[in-house]
Amino acid sequence: MINQTINKSISEASQVIGKTWPLYSFVTSNPLSGYEKKPFFEAVNHAEKRFNAQVYPEVSLFREAWERGYIHKERLNHLLKENDFLKSPEYYLEQMNNIERPIGINANNDLDRFMTKWLAAFMDEGLAEWDMPNKEKGFYEAWRKLVIYDQEIPKTSIAEIPKTPGETVESILNGFSESDILEIFKQHLAALPGWTGYINYRCESNSEWQQKYPITLIEYLAVRLWTAQKINAQIHSKTNDELSNPNISKLQYIWLKAWEKGWQVEMEKLISEQQLNTKSIKNLKQQTEAQMVFCIDTRSELIRRHIENKGNYETFGYAGFFGIAMDYEDLNNGIIRKSCPPIVKSAYHVNEVPQENCSEEVEVYKKKNEHVKFKNYFLKRLKNMLPSAFGFVEGSGGFYGLYMIFRTLLPEYLLRFKKLNSRHHESIFQTEIHNSGCETNDTQNIPLREKVAIVKSGFDLMGWKDFAPLVVFVGHGSHSANNPFGSSLDCGACAASPGRHNARMLAKLANMSEVKQVLRENHNIEIPPHTIFVGAEHNTTTDEIVLFDAEVPSSHFEELQKLKSNLEKARQTATQERLGVAQNSIALANKKANNWGETRPEWGLAKNAGFIVGPRNLTKHANLEGRCFLHSYDWETDKEGAALEAIMQGPVVVTQWINNHYYFSTVNNETFGGGSKITHNVTGKFGVVQGNGGDLKMGLPLQSLMQSDSKMYHQPLRLSVVIQAPLSRVSSILVKNENLKSLLDNEWIYLLVMDPADNNKWYQYERNLNWLSTKVTQSVEKDLDYIIQEEANEVLV
Amino acid sequence: MKLKKQITNAISNAITYLLWLFFIANLSYLVYSYPNIPQWVYNDILKINGFTILIWTLVTFFSALIGSYGKNYLKGFKYHSKFSILCFGFTLSIMTFVMSNHIILLLITWLLMGVFMSMIIGVDSRWGEAKEAAKFALKYFLAGSIFLGTGMFLLAFSTQSYTLSEILLKVDALPKYLTIISGLFIITAAIIQSAIYPFHRWLLSAMTAPTPASALMHAGFVNGSGILLALFSTVLFASNTLIILFVIGGLTAVIAQFTKLIQVNVKQKLACSTIAQMGFMIMQCGLGLFNAAVVHLILHGFYKAYLFLSSGEAVRQEKPKKPLYITIKPIQALIVLFFGVCGALMFSFSTGKGLGLNSSIFLTLIVAITVGQVTYNIVKEQSLTLLQKAFLPPILFMSGIITYALMYNFVTALMISMPMVAEPLPLSALEVGFGVVFLIGFFMMKLGAYRRYPWLYVKLMNITQPYKKTILMYKSK
Repeated sequence: MINQTINKSISEASQVIGKTWPLYSFVTSNPLSGYEKKPFFEAVNHAEKRFNAQVYPEVSLFREAWERGYIHKERLNHLLKENDFLKSPEYYLEQMNNIERPIGINANNDLDRFMTKWLAAFMDEGLAEWDMPNKEKGFYEAWRKLVIYDQEIPKTSIAEIPKTPGETVESILNGFSESDILEIFKQHLAALPGWTGYINYRCESNSEWQQKYPITLIEYLAVRLWTAQKINAQIHSKTNDELSNPNISKLQYIWLKAWEKGWQVEMEKLISEQQLNTKSIKNLKQQTEAQMVFCIDTRSELIRRHIENKGNYETFGYAGFFGIAMDYEDLNNGIIRKSCPPIVKSAYHVNEVPQENCSEEVEVYKKKNEHVKFKNYFLKRLKNMLPSAFGFVEGSGGFYGLYMIFRTLLPEYLLRFKKLNSRHHESIFQTEIHNSGCETNDTQNIPLREKVAIVKSGFDLMGWKDFAPLVVFVGHGSHSANNPFGSSLDCGACAASPGRHNARMLAKLANMSEVKQVLRENHNIEIPPHTIFVGAEHNTTTDEIVLFDAEVPSSHFEELQKLKSNLEKARQTATQERLGVAQNSIALANKKANNWGETRPEWGLAKNAGFIVGPRNLTKHANLEGRCFLHSYDWETDKEGAALEAIMQGPVVVTQWINNHYYFSTVNNETFGGGSKITHNVTGKFGVVQGNGGDLKMGLPLQSLMQSDSKMYHQPLRLSVVIQAPLSRVSSILVKNENLKSLLDNEWIYLLVMDPADNNKWYQYERNLNWLSTKVTQSVEKDLDYIIQEEANEVLV
Repeated sequence: MKLKKQITNAISNAITYLLWLFFIANLSYLVYSYPNIPQWVYNDILKINGFTILIWTLVTFFSALIGSYGKNYLKGFKYHSKFSILCFGFTLSIMTFVMSNHIILLLITWLLMGVFMSMIIGVDSRWGEAKEAAKFALKYFLAGSIFLGTGMFLLAFSTQSYTLSEILLKVDALPKYLTIISGLFIITAAIIQSAIYPFHRWLLSAMTAPTPASALMHAGFVNGSGILLALFSTVLFASNTLIILFVIGGLTAVIAQFTKLIQVNVKQKLACSTIAQMGFMIMQCGLGLFNAAVVHLILHGFYKAYLFLSSGEAVRQEKPKKPLYITIKPIQALIVLFFGVCGALMFSFSTGKGLGLNSSIFLTLIVAITVGQVTYNIVKEQSLTLLQKAFLPPILFMSGIITYALMYNFVTALMISMPMVAEPLPLSALEVGFGVVFLIGFFMMKLGAYRRYPWLYVKLMNITQPYKKTILMYKSK
């Protein structure tokens, strides 16, 4: 009976912790996802108490935003007054500045330390040569069998420790009330949120490591409570339910809102100006030479702009997994990774098979791969064994010294050398799609109907009309050296995998004649015979775009060459803008990509603050500075709103995760982020801890968010989603999707709608399906300020 | 604000360029005057010879390199310039140390090395655990300096000389008990610096230092004991305390290599490996082969600095796998044996050790086994062709032995003016006995026999935990 209560309480208590993703597939998710059912303001206040953590931007960031004019003065004054803060913004800035958060001694130092010792040992994923004994019996049992030898705690015998975690928890918590038990669980789970978050991840993903070496939250709690009792640590600590400074929290929230409003006004202004521009130059539409589809990722915005102005190219934004809910099997090590959004269940399994007439190259490739594997094994073996460890150091030390000089002083040359010696497997292999679970059966291909559906949904969602001779699907991936957070720079829509394989798969499906035939006959989508689909990868660190064109027929040779040379030009100007240099920008980008001492190889999705859903025309000539996700959408071709609904259910939610993750990692890098990279210590091959050890880090490192220890790069703002579609259509989608509506009602994101049925008037979502019309009018030229008029114009649904 | 940033950058850059300049000057001088580096003496205080320049070259190399690395790595770090200045201070201390002839200067610079290193460990003064780690390390270094001071002053008072060179000349005339006591003090100072068991915990608690600082620590600080012992080799010979070095070093080498097996954090794993390598270096000293120890400290410095600087590469998705045990066919065993003997012969001739039955046989034996292990792993690898299997082992071990021999002969030539640094000892029963212990360790590891002892796992885990106040001591970072 009590066991049931315990299980229930654990699952409820686990809401206080998020999920810690392994760094090899680092998904940026909301660390407070367990609080999403609560309003943002309340949720962060809870978190502040629970973790003793800053949950709003530091005052230094507010000050910077204020001085740079990101926060609109009138707007802020207005908001302050509305909330009975009657003094000047400067006064309140000073007031927020005077608050100090004392760094307390951790009363549970011993308990936390013992826990991290066992957790790190148990959860290791291959860093240690000698695994924790009895690991396969699960965390509790393995610990139980070993802790009797642990001299750091008072002597104990195996008979003293109950056989199951449930018995342990029950016997210790016997006598506590139900609400106390819940609070005890919360406290002990939140004590090490990084590690418990990783237990959460392992349980939910049921990874290979979890299957083999299971660990659950109840096992963690049992071990922790037992140890606490043994060493006389507190089982139930008293907490204060009061915010240390409710007034300051309120102030911070007001400043945040004013800052967000500043950005929304700026975005509205950019897009509105754009419309004026496009009206005048609408005329000349030349023959489009190529169409390129990029991920909605904020980094695509810059490269798209630069490609578009190099020729007659049209670009689109689409979620970077290209609509294929798949897992991808790595050719080299057989590891299967998710390659679609974490909120989507993988229906397909994609692997690589040799292209025709490539058997010789494939043999060579495979041999080479074997040799690389052997080399790694060989080195590890020599380093680990006695006495070869000593002989090996003496024989190889000189070579390590030389290589170290090269890597430090000449990283860009090393990259060139590496490139010469490696070849993309894409040129000799092709992707093959199967139903998930049937990967062994090669003949079992997926039905034509599903292939057609995958291709069709892409064109539907993007509002596609005509086809150019070349249509390129561009996935993206990052390439950086010595970077534990490398995967955080890969495609978020592919669960932190590079999106190239999804792109190649979609190109292959779209090229199939039987697919084209069904599209033409049943769906009225006419793909001209001369149109060829190609997969590609945008390297976001160097802005190089590699086309996987091994199978493109020779008829397209010239077009392809022209595109490639224009992409190279685009690369040059894009890197110039991104890195802020006029000369040698490509060399600099290459250096950043391959320098092992570089902690900021690229900025990933930092600065993200907006998500624009609409045709490219809305934004084509505006410089959005990489701050916006862009999804192509045409309200006119989407009569029923099905495409919009899919966009709102998928990409909007994924971008909300990303955005909230960036927000919390920025406002409190130590607790919700990863801290500084310079003192990171990789643990278990999947995570990092700071310095000598401690809690597992759960978020992005400082160097992904800040220009320096104190200077801001990412602006911690909640995401503002802008959709161009009839207001009624958006409203009806919200009515159908309670989850979306709750995110909006609780202010985890903002929603703005540009209603084409109403002269592209802007509306902002307010609570409970109410809309507020916003209007930005430019005042007299000299004055750069904008006056915001808000008409409390409630539109009924 | 902007100005401050510029100054920070300027300081760090200037220091890095200066260090590279030092390095190039030292290296050029070494190469140019090799092998006859003149000795230069200033009063009783300073003495510069080939060995001094060698260490200067080495330490400026590491400092300059981590300066260049840190230029990007530490960009934006609040204490970047403080870090650069501390590293520079450390570099100057070690440089002064190796040219000191007066014992007071020796003592002061030895202490300064420790002080600077502990300040680097705690360079981020916003971080409570880092400050604890710095304090903790400083205690060890202070103790080390006290031991060194006591040992040196004991010698100085009894010989009535205060310069190293004079003391060394008079050591043989001292009563045995005096040399033994001071020898023990100096040995203790050395093994504290090298984090030899049981003084290893400071090194395992020093990861609060930024990664490049760890590289410097493991390449240029912990191995300071090799230098110290080489300087005082005469005392150690006179007091017959070498055997202590041999046993402590050898034991640490074996134990630390076992502790490395269970480490789950990459930096702690590297630290365990360093402790093992330092144990090996101390053991080489114990064999009377101080020149070999110096070669080891140099090559290990390269190796370990590289591994620290690339420690971010350790993130990787893997599949759970069972440890695999490999068996070997008789014919393969024969090849292993053959190449092992070839390697041993090549090693002993290229380093001029010959085949005499003295303590150098230990090193020869280790080379032979290493070559055997190299061959063994290659011959049983299925993806390699017969031809590759035949040629890969000799190519690998030959290039390894040749680079080692080059370095060895170079260092030996530079140390020629120093007394008693390359004196192989006759083999004693104790050494042979310990050689057997070493072999048992090797077989235990090779056969994976340790896996049968869970208590050993816990023991190894506990002796390698960082000092408790350096993790999770404070509420936030």
